[in-house]
Amino acid sequence: MTFAQAVRAPHVRRVQHRPLRQAVHRRAADRRTVARSASWEVRSFLLVSGVIVAGFLLVLLYLAQATAVSAAGYEAQRLSAQRDEIRRQNALLEIESARLDSPARIEAAAQRLGLVRAATIRVVPALEIAAKR
Amino acid sequence: MTATISHARLRVLFAFFAVASLVLSARLAYWQTIGRGELLGQATDQVRSDLVLAAHRGVIRDRGGAILATTVELRSLYAIPGRIVDRGATAAALAPILGERPDVLRAALESGGEWLYLRRRLPEDTANRIAALRIEGLGFEKEPKRLYPSGAIGAQVLGFVNDDGLGQYGVEGRYDDVLRGVPGRLVVERDPASRQLALGLRTGLNAKDGQDLVLTLDLAIQTAVERELAAAVQSEKATSGSVVVLDPRDGAVRALASSPSYDPARVAAATNEALRDRAISWTYEPGSTMKAITIAAALDKGVVTPKTSYNDVGYAVIGGRVLSNAYGKVYGPTTVAQVLERSQNAGAVFVASQLGAPDLRSYLEAFGFGAPTGVDLAAETTGRVRPLAEWYPVDLGTISFGQGLSITPLQLAAAYAAIANGGTLFRPYVVASRRDADGEHRTAPAPLRRVISSQTAATLRTMLTATVDHGIANAAALKAYSVAGKTGTAQIPSNDGRYVDDAYISSFAGFVPAEDPQLVVVVVLERPESKLLGTLPAMTAFKGIATDALRYARVQPDRP
Repeated sequence: MTFAQAVRAPHVRRVQHRPLRQAVHRRAADRRTVARSASWEVRSFLLVSGVIVAGFLLVLLYLAQATAVSAAGYEAQRLSAQRDEIRRQNALLEIESARLDSPARIEAAAQRLGLVRAATIRVVPALEIAAKR
Repeated sequence: MTATISHARLRVLFAFFAVASLVLSARLAYWQTIGRGELLGQATDQVRSDLVLAAHRGVIRDRGGAILATTVELRSLYAIPGRIVDRGATAAALAPILGERPDVLRAALESGGEWLYLRRRLPEDTANRIAALRIEGLGFEKEPKRLYPSGAIGAQVLGFVNDDGLGQYGVEGRYDDVLRGVPGRLVVERDPASRQLALGLRTGLNAKDGQDLVLTLDLAIQTAVERELAAAVQSEKATSGSVVVLDPRDGAVRALASSPSYDPARVAAATNEALRDRAISWTYEPGSTMKAITIAAALDKGVVTPKTSYNDVGYAVIGGRVLSNAYGKVYGPTTVAQVLERSQNAGAVFVASQLGAPDLRSYLEAFGFGAPTGVDLAAETTGRVRPLAEWYPVDLGTISFGQGLSITPLQLAAAYAAIANGGTLFRPYVVASRRDADGEHRTAPAPLRRVISSQTAATLRTMLTATVDHGIANAAALKAYSVAGKTGTAQIPSNDGRYVDDAYISSFAGFVPAEDPQLVVVVVLERPESKLLGTLPAMTAFKGIATDALRYARVQPDRP
């Protein structure tokens, strides 16, 4: 038995005990009432079901969003840590670059290679260049 | 009877439960109302963590952008001995990587500690090698470390950062509050795996990183300075030495070195003397380099000219004391210009006598002696020029050739810079600009005052050039560049008020090119082995520094 049948059953039983003459009119009226009532009940059932399903879906959506945000948060943390590590590695590389660029190291390396200082370095005066133009 | 007893027992039992229920209810009510905050706090503490966000210490660069000091996070190795399966094998595996004996490491692992550092702030490759071992019970924690890529170069200017993160000495000390920044705070909720909850509480204040500093220092010149100073100190077995290089046009410090020095990476091994920057934190009696100042004052005051002459008899008598020339030499008729070229003490006394003590004292003050230069470095000392009231008559004579007053090498460099730039005394400075979130803030050069007229300065430049070209400072002459300068050999005062026998402080102060000065260099050597000839290694150091600096700066030669 469906929910609608269960609700409708008492009315059906009550109609069976009424006098026959009136019963014909009543039955027709009842049939209309039952039809209206059944229609309302179905709508109510559908409405309640819809609300429940919608609520369920909303909760599900919220949970999905919360889970997604949480997962994104963990991913952001992972990326942040990765960024920090890359920055650290970059800083270490900059230090290594500065160490290699150090004039003292280059001078020592040049001496090791047997290079000597140039006696003179020709400097072209800016005025001479300007005069030639 | 039995029923009565039974009822009585039931009543007692009921009463007991009733009382117990009341007590429990009261206790529950207490924790739900009055004690709620305490419980809430305990629960919150289990998931909430309150972190201090460390501010990143600012980077220090030279004027060309080369990194001189920066902070990076290095990995520190810790151990949880309880989780290490085989401590002996672990110690044996770590020993060659850490350069430590296995038994020492094993003893540390078996010391009973639940958690301990095995080595802090490891070099990156060492940390990588240990990480590759994948030993259970070992882990890394990142800790900030100040690194100086150029090693000991510029150590005296830079200073260092101690274990508490505080800057000490030099720029690190003077600008500690600027470099350090402001730590932040972060309050977050964490899950059992200690990860931050994405939807949990997250509040705090961002850390404000320290400002980056760009110095006036030039790493190439600084390297040349330290090389030449080390060579001079070593060859002369000098007790100490210092060099200052200034740009006379604005007072910018291009290089500043002191010996003995230290390695900022191994500060713990440095002596107190090594930590002292002798260019600014040490005073000495300058000797004959001060003759240029005395003559500048007299020329500016108009009491003498370069051609003013006197008859040199090898000594001067002043205040009842006899002050002689070096080696007691007698020069006969001498001009003021020749006084500088030959570095005659008696001549300096003659010039000072023409000037008078009040004016000499006044000019010394104007040139910045006896007061801090105001350089933006920690621990600058002032030197001492006694008040006029404390001068004995002989002091006019001794001070005229640089004995009886104490100065710092930086003060002398600043005074020579005033002569070089046409007569204006600048405040020396080391930090050229600061960079923060708002942009770059440049330091404006600070001209303090006009000390002498431009004509006096020009005259003195000519006289000092002659001193190098064919005078006592000829060893400082450079090929293709004009040099102006003066030597100084000073006696060293002892604690009993006399001068130490047979020990001197040798120095040279000069600028190049003399015609259009771009660098002022002061070299000071304490107790060189050459004694009275100690100015020669000082001039050799000057030549090495000036040659490298002019070549590096592509300065056009002003002589054929």
